[in-house]
Amino acid sequence: MIDVIVFAISALIIIGGAIGVIALPNPVHAALSLIATFFGVAVLFVQQEAHFLALVQVVVYAGAIVVLFLFVIMLLGVDRAQELGVEPLAGQRAAGVAVGAVLLALVVGGLFLSGDPDRGGAVALTGQSGQVVPTVEGEQDVIQLARDLFTRHLLTFEATGILLTVATVGAVVLVRARGAEDLILDEPGTAQH
Amino acid sequence: MLIAQEFVRPIIDWHGVAPELTLLAIGAMVTLVDIIWNEKAQRIIPTLTGLGFLAALLPVLTLWSDRDELPRVMWDGAYVVDEYSLVLKGLFLVSAYVVVLLATNYMHDGDYYEGEFYQLVSASVVGMLVMTSARDLISIFVAIELISIPAYLMAAWRKRDLKSNEAGLKYMLMGVFASALMLYGMSLLYGFAGDTRLAAIAPALRSSESIPLITLAVVFVVVGFGFKVSAVPFHTWAPDTYEGAPTPLTAFLAVASKAAGFVALMSVVIVAFPEQSGVAEPLLWVLAAVTMTVGNLIAMRQTNIVRMLAYSGIAQAGYMIAPLAVFGDVPSSAARAIVIYLVIYAAMNLGAFAVVITAARKTRSGEISSYGGLFQYAPGLAVLMTLFLFSLAGIPPFGGWYAKYQVFLVLVEPATTAGYVLAAIGAVNAVLAAFYYLSIMKQMWFMPEPNGDHTRVQITPSLQAALAITAIVTLVTGVLPGVIPDVGDLVVALP
Repeated sequence: MIDVIVFAISALIIIGGAIGVIALPNPVHAALSLIATFFGVAVLFVQQEAHFLALVQVVVYAGAIVVLFLFVIMLLGVDRAQELGVEPLAGQRAAGVAVGAVLLALVVGGLFLSGDPDRGGAVALTGQSGQVVPTVEGEQDVIQLARDLFTRHLLTFEATGILLTVATVGAVVLVRARGAEDLILDEPGTAQH
Repeated sequence: MLIAQEFVRPIIDWHGVAPELTLLAIGAMVTLVDIIWNEKAQRIIPTLTGLGFLAALLPVLTLWSDRDELPRVMWDGAYVVDEYSLVLKGLFLVSAYVVVLLATNYMHDGDYYEGEFYQLVSASVVGMLVMTSARDLISIFVAIELISIPAYLMAAWRKRDLKSNEAGLKYMLMGVFASALMLYGMSLLYGFAGDTRLAAIAPALRSSESIPLITLAVVFVVVGFGFKVSAVPFHTWAPDTYEGAPTPLTAFLAVASKAAGFVALMSVVIVAFPEQSGVAEPLLWVLAAVTMTVGNLIAMRQTNIVRMLAYSGIAQAGYMIAPLAVFGDVPSSAARAIVIYLVIYAAMNLGAFAVVITAARKTRSGEISSYGGLFQYAPGLAVLMTLFLFSLAGIPPFGGWYAKYQVFLVLVEPATTAGYVLAAIGAVNAVLAAFYYLSIMKQMWFMPEPNGDHTRVQITPSLQAALAITAIVTLVTGVLPGVIPDVGDLVVALP
């Protein structure tokens, strides 16, 4: 019973936060309501006994990433309500709503439609709560995660290291100004040297 | 006691990962040389990077010569070195070498940042090498990001030009969106299997009854890869990005990056979805048919040659998706046909870009009309371009015909209506494509030079090398198609 109550409260917080992100006109408020969503997800992780993921969710997402968002918003000086009445491309919003509706139908259909009854098909969403099965009995999830990371996913782990380094190098090159580098507007096609 | 089980050091087959490690070492060395000697090193950095790609080819060759040991399976089946991955590793390293040859003078003359450009290219190629062997959702995803993120940055490399900024931004936004879709699909697949290894996902999908959920997972994964290989209707970023990015990088995106997307699509579809062909095949069939047709129809209307090559590349991607539309019956021949297509496509498309870059050194233009009179002032270049265009159009005896022939063979092999219809659509499209390839030839051979300027085009040694390599491969694969090594069977059992 307590599981259901915890789930209901955190689900409400998650959905409320998500609606806030797209509905609030002020970007700062939108970023703040994203924190609510992240916290709700963290609670769900705790409920699934994924304590490490819950911690990372709070520290990295609710902490660092939202701060980064706010930083960028403040830096760009868009910390006011934006004019949203103008539609840059005619029919863009209607098309967006249509695509969103199709996606929603696809996901809801996937969850609720039954499989082929001849093959014993059943509704994917059963209402039963999931079970936590540790790969090694009596071991904390942090240790399991670390073991997986440094054995099976060792190469991937190292590749992520390269990825972060490269992204930093490239970002520095793109933002760095060298002398008087003004933006020149080349004629289309003439910019090849 | 917190640790219930001792940590066992994973066994690493150093020979198996030698190509990746060699390239990584070269990339680190290029970075160091760039930092220590700074401006003085700018001249040797392209050479060093190019030699690095060739050096990384050595372990690939030694692994190939030691074929009795294949497949080398590492990390519980998450990483597999087999014939398939070795052929593709070779393809990526040679294509990257040609891209470095194309970029050498372009980056220097344009006064763009050079050292960092080659570091990013090497990092992207490391991602491609990892991709060829990755048989695990996590390594496939990390490899895709390692390929794409340097490419987003390099697309905006001409940062004083608004078009290049637009190219980088569009590519990044669409790429990140595609990654999110793909991750969603992958998380559903993981939810089914409880395992990220592709070979473990296949039996889990087979025994599952939740067809709607499997459909959802397959659709999201295929759509995500559809963006990466610029299949219609997920192609909208490609023409703008190709036009705005530095042209050598455009060649890299159109050939190596697209091929890497195909490798990921092929590995996931053939290894993880074999029993779900009823879901994946119709989706891929529609994707292939639409991609060929729309790509060709829009390519006809282009006046800029880079944009035209972008749309022609989209149409060619349709041919490469086509074998996957019948993969359920003939998985091995489908993989073989796609790898052959990728090898030949890399040679002929890189060749076409080499001619475009060389010609632009004189004309300073990407318009098709500026190719008038090319035969009079640069006959060699016009002949080479004709060779590449004939090959792209699929006219014998150049490589392109053999690639298309293989695709048609696979399509008719299972003798299904779907296969025959797709083959017919492909044949009609081959005729459509010939139309715009021939229109460029008309410009080159019969039209006068628009400004009456008949000075010769200066072809630098690195561009000469790039043209020679691509022309030889295009010719040889057409005349002696047997030189492309067989890729064998893709599916490897779990240890």
